[in-house]
Amino acid sequence: MQNSNSEYIIEMKHITKRFPGIVANDDVSISVKKGEIYALLGENGAGKSTLMSMLFGLYEPDEGEIFIRGEKVKFKSPNDASAIGIGMVHQHFKLVEPFTVTENVVLGIEGGTIVDLKSAREKILKLSSEYGLEVNPDDKIKDLPVCTRQRVEIFKMLYRDAEILIFDEPTGVLTPQEIDKLLEILENLRKSGKTILLITHKLEEIKRVADRCAILRQGKLIEVVNTKDVSTSEMASLMVGHTVLFDIDKSPMKKGDVVLSVKNMSYKKKGESVYRVRDVNFDVHAGEVFAIAGVSGNGQMEIADIITGIIQDSTGEIVLDGEDISKLSIDERIKRGISYVPEDRHAVALVLDETLEDNIVLKKMDTAQFLKKIFLRRNEISTYADMIIDKYDVRSGQGRSTIVRSMSGGNQQKAIIGREIELDAKLLIFVQPTRGLDVGAIENIWKLILKERDRGKAVLLISLELEEIMNLADTVGVIYNGHIDKIASRDQLTEREIGSYMMGVKHNG
Amino acid sequence: MDKISSFFKKFGLGFVHAFTKNGARVNFVKLSKNRTALAFLLPITAIILSFILGSIVLALIGADPFKAITSMFQGAGFLPKARYGGGQNQFSDFMKLLNNATPLIFASLAVSVALSAGMFNIGISGVMVLSGFISSVLIGYSPLPAVVARPAVLIICLILGMGAGALVGFLKYKFNINEVVQAIMFNYTFMYITNYFIYKFFLNPETRSSVVVSDAARLTIADVKVGGVEIVVPLGFIVLIAVAVIVYIFLTRTKDGFEMRAVGLNPRCAEYVGISVKKNVILAMAISGALAGLAGATFYLGATNTIKPETLPSTGFDAIAVCLLGGSHPIGIFLASLLISGMTTGGAYMQARASVSTQVPSLIIGIMLIFAACTAFMRYYLQKMSLKVEDNLKKEGLL
Repeated sequence: MQNSNSEYIIEMKHITKRFPGIVANDDVSISVKKGEIYALLGENGAGKSTLMSMLFGLYEPDEGEIFIRGEKVKFKSPNDASAIGIGMVHQHFKLVEPFTVTENVVLGIEGGTIVDLKSAREKILKLSSEYGLEVNPDDKIKDLPVCTRQRVEIFKMLYRDAEILIFDEPTGVLTPQEIDKLLEILENLRKSGKTILLITHKLEEIKRVADRCAILRQGKLIEVVNTKDVSTSEMASLMVGHTVLFDIDKSPMKKGDVVLSVKNMSYKKKGESVYRVRDVNFDVHAGEVFAIAGVSGNGQMEIADIITGIIQDSTGEIVLDGEDISKLSIDERIKRGISYVPEDRHAVALVLDETLEDNIVLKKMDTAQFLKKIFLRRNEISTYADMIIDKYDVRSGQGRSTIVRSMSGGNQQKAIIGREIELDAKLLIFVQPTRGLDVGAIENIWKLILKERDRGKAVLLISLELEEIMNLADTVGVIYNGHIDKIASRDQLTEREIGSYMMGVKHNG
Repeated sequence: MDKISSFFKKFGLGFVHAFTKNGARVNFVKLSKNRTALAFLLPITAIILSFILGSIVLALIGADPFKAITSMFQGAGFLPKARYGGGQNQFSDFMKLLNNATPLIFASLAVSVALSAGMFNIGISGVMVLSGFISSVLIGYSPLPAVVARPAVLIICLILGMGAGALVGFLKYKFNINEVVQAIMFNYTFMYITNYFIYKFFLNPETRSSVVVSDAARLTIADVKVGGVEIVVPLGFIVLIAVAVIVYIFLTRTKDGFEMRAVGLNPRCAEYVGISVKKNVILAMAISGALAGLAGATFYLGATNTIKPETLPSTGFDAIAVCLLGGSHPIGIFLASLLISGMTTGGAYMQARASVSTQVPSLIIGIMLIFAACTAFMRYYLQKMSLKVEDNLKKEGLL
């Protein structure tokens, strides 16, 4: 039934979507014109990913209707959306590593019992020249860098003749130079008549490529603006509801003795031929924030796991306060004074199906504070948990008895950071501590990290967000292909310089 | 609505509010968030639904559903019979039920302990046969007096089960051999070894079953006359209560119990906080095995006093079903075991009185399991509905 204005290729009307404990989208209505680049801006939890997931067919709205090209649609699965020309590049790529580019692109639409890889390959080469996207169809995904993998995801959409392309936080894993390249690609796609939806929290990128931007906050649509007519700070204010400071106050470094010394660290995973960590050397002093910058996948995450003992078969020395801890167990290292906020908060840092208070005392359960012979001191545990909940502003449905799975990502992270800081360790390791959090939460966590640094702790920060590194670090080490190519004081480096080291470009001196 | 409910509250009749439409909606939302209430209500719903479905089946085969189901419960001892044979009454029936259910409850606890550490113990039946056999040979066929024999039986079965479990746990951790594959292999290994020895040395040619064990070693005292009635005294049940309490306290109140559960819920996180995954995998299987051993003791030297060769008792497999229905919580397991044990025990009486085949209880149990497996879906659907109601209530200012 023709129901709407055909100038708009997408219309989402009065969309509401609920999940346990939260209304992810609350009566949101947006309209996207054909051939425009339309951005969705919002903090973590604003509802932008959920909204696009419904456009892509992953979820069904609880209320509201979706119209594509003027016709009402109901998607039961992404296949339905794909069939009418909607495609999505996700934050976490959906690629099969041992398969080739061609095999990944045709996965799901092989078209019959006998898979014709040859004509698929030819079609990919044709698309490649048509859109100016370089790719070798015979490469295996596991050998490709992140930006090329993203390109493969784009190919998947073009191969299926997608006209509406949705990108979910596409620049999070790219270096500044790669981001430029991607934005160029988006412009080219638009010139070919594609409609692009861009989910992002990067204000500069919105200003650069988007025509219009819908700003969402806590599930509701706040405003739709023409990006030409607004400044980034105006957009930021709309996004959080108040004015936001981007530069944090940092006092001068009071550098103390060396707390952590990593010497000749190398690591090769069993069954692989490439060294993920190659001859890494660095020191972290008390009162210093040492940050490792690098593109995702260059070995920085492994370094954190090696120092804490989760990865056991590395070579080299790890010296904490003068003692070589490389042969000690994880438990022994925790007791020697290492805190660790890992990258994956769900799979590693928390037991999602346990209560908040149990998760908070996880690392301290065998101390006399919480243990009486073999029994847990539940009263002590409750008091301690309440203290951390209060001090770190951890919000949850049922306080300390909340099952962690039902808490928001931001509050889960606050609980983890609170737990780790209260261990009062000599060395604090933070990996991607503000991933997926809103601007307000990010500021708070940055302040907490700097407070520990001012208290004389040694902080090792591993982050993929250059802004975070520029704001927090005293010393920056840039990692590329497992080796730290450059270590310098933060004041001696610009973002562009760090970006080029991250790409492996070596400068003199 | 507020005026009406405060009016009722003044007279101590606040609960009437619950029956008003808005009161019901508010309570519905509160109930959906109450995990403990749901943990009870959802399995009970599954059970009720399966009895309804079972009744339909009974009606279709021409039986009287009410008569059939009540006679099944009467046979179990949950309800009184119209007439009792000499020396029997409802109490004696119920005692018999407790005696029969004890092995099943031990076995279900074994499943649930292994499950809490993330593992599936399907080898309980094999452990039962092995421990039942060895304690029969060592103690059951000996002239030891009861005061020594009975504890000895328990200790031997416990240790054997613990050893078998620890072995499985060790092999799983060291060589990553799936515990289900191991358990199935051990089941048959233990069964055929005991088979050989029973046939060779301990066979009663008339019953084609092993020689019965001495009454002194048995964990059930049979034919006890109490108040004009002959009952069995289920000693095993008393041991069961004590053991169940200890296991429950261990899992929920001690640090080691918590660490074991953490390993089951998220082994990567457990490792990250410094917990030894190896130790807990072995410990969990050892405890599970010990409970399986006790199931063997209360089965072969309790519920019965002989070992039928070439059969693995169904107890070890029914236990998995009980665990699913009982939600892995000790109380749920207790009640589910009693129910399922009762239904199988009561089947004979149901056949006598309502002329219904003894297959019917198994049928209803099977339907129950399907519904029990659906409780996850029920929970999801309930939450979805309750969110909508909650949203509306908030908009109306009632919440």
